[in-house]
Amino acid sequence: MLSYVLRRILGMVPTLLLISVVCFTVIQLQPGSFLDQYLEDPRVTKETVETITRQLGLDQPLWVQYLTWMKGIVTQGDFGYSFVNGRPVSSLIWERLGWTVFLAVLTLIVSWAIAIPLGIYTAINRYGVGATITNFLGYISLATPDFLVALLLIALVLNTGGTNVGGLFSPEYIGAPWSWAKVGDLLGHLWIPMIAIGLEGVAGLMRQMRASMLDVIGQDYVRTARAKGLAGQAVLWRHAVRNAVNPLISLAGLSLPSLISGTIIASIVLNLPTIGPFLYDSLLNKDQYVAMTLLLFSALLLLIGNLLSDVALAWADPRVRFE
Amino acid sequence: MTLALLGGALAAPKKVDGYSSLGVVKGKPGGTLTLALGDSPQSLFYYGVIDNNLGLVSQQMFDGLVEFNYATYKIEPALAESWTISPDGKTYTFKLRQGVKWSDGQAFNADDVVFSYKNIIMNPEARAGDAGNFKLDGKDVTIRKLDANTVQFVLPRPAPAFLLQQRYFIMPQHKLTKFSQDGGAKAADINNAWPTNVAVSEVVGTGPFKLSGYIAGQKVSLVKNPNYWKVDASGTQLPYLNALEFLVIRDPQAQVAQFLAGNLDQLNISGAQFPDLKSKEVAGAPFKVIRSTALFGSPPFVAYNFDAKNAALSKLFSDARFRRAMQFAVDRERVIDTVYNGLASLPGHGVAPVNTQWYTNTKAQLGNFDLAAAGKALDALGVKDTDGNGVRNVPGGKDLEIDLTYGTDSVVYPAIATILQNDFKKLGVKVNLKGILSSKLLSTGLAGDYEMIVHAFGDQPDPELRKPIWQPGGALYYWHRSTQPTQDGGKPNTAKMAGWEKEIYNIFEDAATTTSASQRKALYTRWQLLFAQNLPVTPIAKPENIGAVSNKFGNYVYNLGVIPGYNPLPLMYQK
Repeated sequence: MLSYVLRRILGMVPTLLLISVVCFTVIQLQPGSFLDQYLEDPRVTKETVETITRQLGLDQPLWVQYLTWMKGIVTQGDFGYSFVNGRPVSSLIWERLGWTVFLAVLTLIVSWAIAIPLGIYTAINRYGVGATITNFLGYISLATPDFLVALLLIALVLNTGGTNVGGLFSPEYIGAPWSWAKVGDLLGHLWIPMIAIGLEGVAGLMRQMRASMLDVIGQDYVRTARAKGLAGQAVLWRHAVRNAVNPLISLAGLSLPSLISGTIIASIVLNLPTIGPFLYDSLLNKDQYVAMTLLLFSALLLLIGNLLSDVALAWADPRVRFE
Repeated sequence: MTLALLGGALAAPKKVDGYSSLGVVKGKPGGTLTLALGDSPQSLFYYGVIDNNLGLVSQQMFDGLVEFNYATYKIEPALAESWTISPDGKTYTFKLRQGVKWSDGQAFNADDVVFSYKNIIMNPEARAGDAGNFKLDGKDVTIRKLDANTVQFVLPRPAPAFLLQQRYFIMPQHKLTKFSQDGGAKAADINNAWPTNVAVSEVVGTGPFKLSGYIAGQKVSLVKNPNYWKVDASGTQLPYLNALEFLVIRDPQAQVAQFLAGNLDQLNISGAQFPDLKSKEVAGAPFKVIRSTALFGSPPFVAYNFDAKNAALSKLFSDARFRRAMQFAVDRERVIDTVYNGLASLPGHGVAPVNTQWYTNTKAQLGNFDLAAAGKALDALGVKDTDGNGVRNVPGGKDLEIDLTYGTDSVVYPAIATILQNDFKKLGVKVNLKGILSSKLLSTGLAGDYEMIVHAFGDQPDPELRKPIWQPGGALYYWHRSTQPTQDGGKPNTAKMAGWEKEIYNIFEDAATTTSASQRKALYTRWQLLFAQNLPVTPIAKPENIGAVSNKFGNYVYNLGVIPGYNPLPLMYQK
């Protein structure tokens, strides 16, 4: 098992290298340059643009730019410099990582906690009224984009005279020291992103869980367990659910990269301080080292997520062990 | 002998008075105003990055030597209390206001001014510096300190717009020496001053407010600078407000939502958002929506590429008769009504109509929307539908088919482009829409990679400030790129200029050095008439400024955004 994990980790290196080349190429293929947006500013002359181009190393051949960036990462763990912010990329990402992870983990927990029981419920009561209604609502929320839900919720809050229409805090609590009032204010804001971002996940997961439950319920071992006289609840939880949950474990691993790119539009609409809009801006501005670092980070998360879910699967399901 | 233009009393604070026409009354101290910021500032050092969001914040923390009068846009004293200009127009001597202190209590003096200009503003490596403005005909402008309260600039030749330009924010020497050449650092190191994670006590200015907090992606907080050097008419120290908060809200719709929810106290909005907010105001919402005619701000225009790759089009586009003919098919009234909801007016030619100092009335030359007249004029040029397919043909045969480049991510460009396409079609001119990001419009123009483009350049208080745009051969004169110098800094290619372009070129050359205001006025009047007659670009409309402000606040004067030297916010107060 350990040697398997090590081999997988070593295998990530060439994959990431390849991805970094692809990311770099794609970003260079984008028309225009980082400096385009400044040309219209009366303060900026052609000379200034040339000076900045030189300062940023954008006058160097592309392969030199790429190799310099790579060298920085390998030798110093330096992921380059944000043109826009004039600061190292890594410190900028750290600044935004906290709330991003908090929101992602929270939505994940909430959506799992809601989706799995609902999936089980709709599977075992296939033809019930409750299950039909739940399924129908699931379809609707699957079909509605998260930003639209966010906009609808904002409109709803505004029309009922509320003031929590975006962000994570009311203005007076941003940057204030933690207190119970601040936690309360956070909770007052948090439900909108939870619903907007989480809803889609709930619907998808619920349907996945329902499908694999239905698969499992008809299996021989479940019927055997029932035939042995095991109580309905025990059969359900010990045999059926445990096996049905396996595909969801791989899904969980694959959802790691959504930390970065999953909720860009919803984050912009809801004004959430996460990494998504940061990536979006860096792509628009051609802030190349930020964009490449984030894309690379996203790819790394995908690889790690995959590995973690494989390991978790092996732990959860004896059939997929490797020895 | 020197010519004294403006004198002032020796008393240190500046009395801000005489704005009753703008509705300004005596306020009371206290309160917090919350504003929106489109994104986190990229740095806290104004000259290190070119960033509007930082500009908005910096405007509240720093001042220049001179500033605009809020009502007349005339230049008046700020950190400089008075100045003299030598009769030959080449020596500018600024007497600094005495007793001004930085927000950390240190005294402000001539060393700060000389330091700011030498190490920052004139430093070609400072990314948002302005070194280019301190080289005239290839020779340097020099600055020196005469005594603790006097600085002097010597220019290689007269430059009448020089005074107007000296609105640059002055920076504290005692905090920035270590990033500067004076302090032994490299010239480019100045860009690394005050990154966004700097300690707030490091960011020191003379402006009405000082930095008190920065939370990436969420908020920038400022508090009142107790050392600010302005007082109101009755001697109360400004600003009235205790604190200023900038909430980072990226999406314009989200900004409006936050404003409606009462989390923002003031917001600049677009014509498209006007009807909704205005109807809410009329229905009794606790805010006011205020329209004001605009001096600054970009009037959209349509430009034809004189150097289009298609030779037949290039020949047609270079012909002023063609551009005049097409102007009849530009339905300005409809654009004003439908795109701007009526919140715009007819544009000037390079100068905003509200700019009384320079504007020449060229409304008659704008013509009326008249497709029949446009058709007749095109017929006269030999641009007729010869093959009977409903599309006119360029002389020589092919269909007159033009690609129109416009910005898709703008509120106004797509609508304007569609209106042009529709009307041109009725005229028998086929237009293919080609959408790109608005931020790429200028680079596309400069690359010459378009046939027809909808774009906008800003109006400024003095045409001299927009010389690279309107002078043929200028760096931004992109509709006729073959007039640009073959080498950077070289002489423009006058051989490629049409007669009227040569005349405009000479007008700008002359006006740049003419010290007599009346002679400059005459030159620029001639330029506007030539512009209106020959239409290097066809201006479409001049949008109005619209601001929404909570009823909790008084003394609101519309402020477009980052205009150094125009900051009426210290007068605002909480009722």
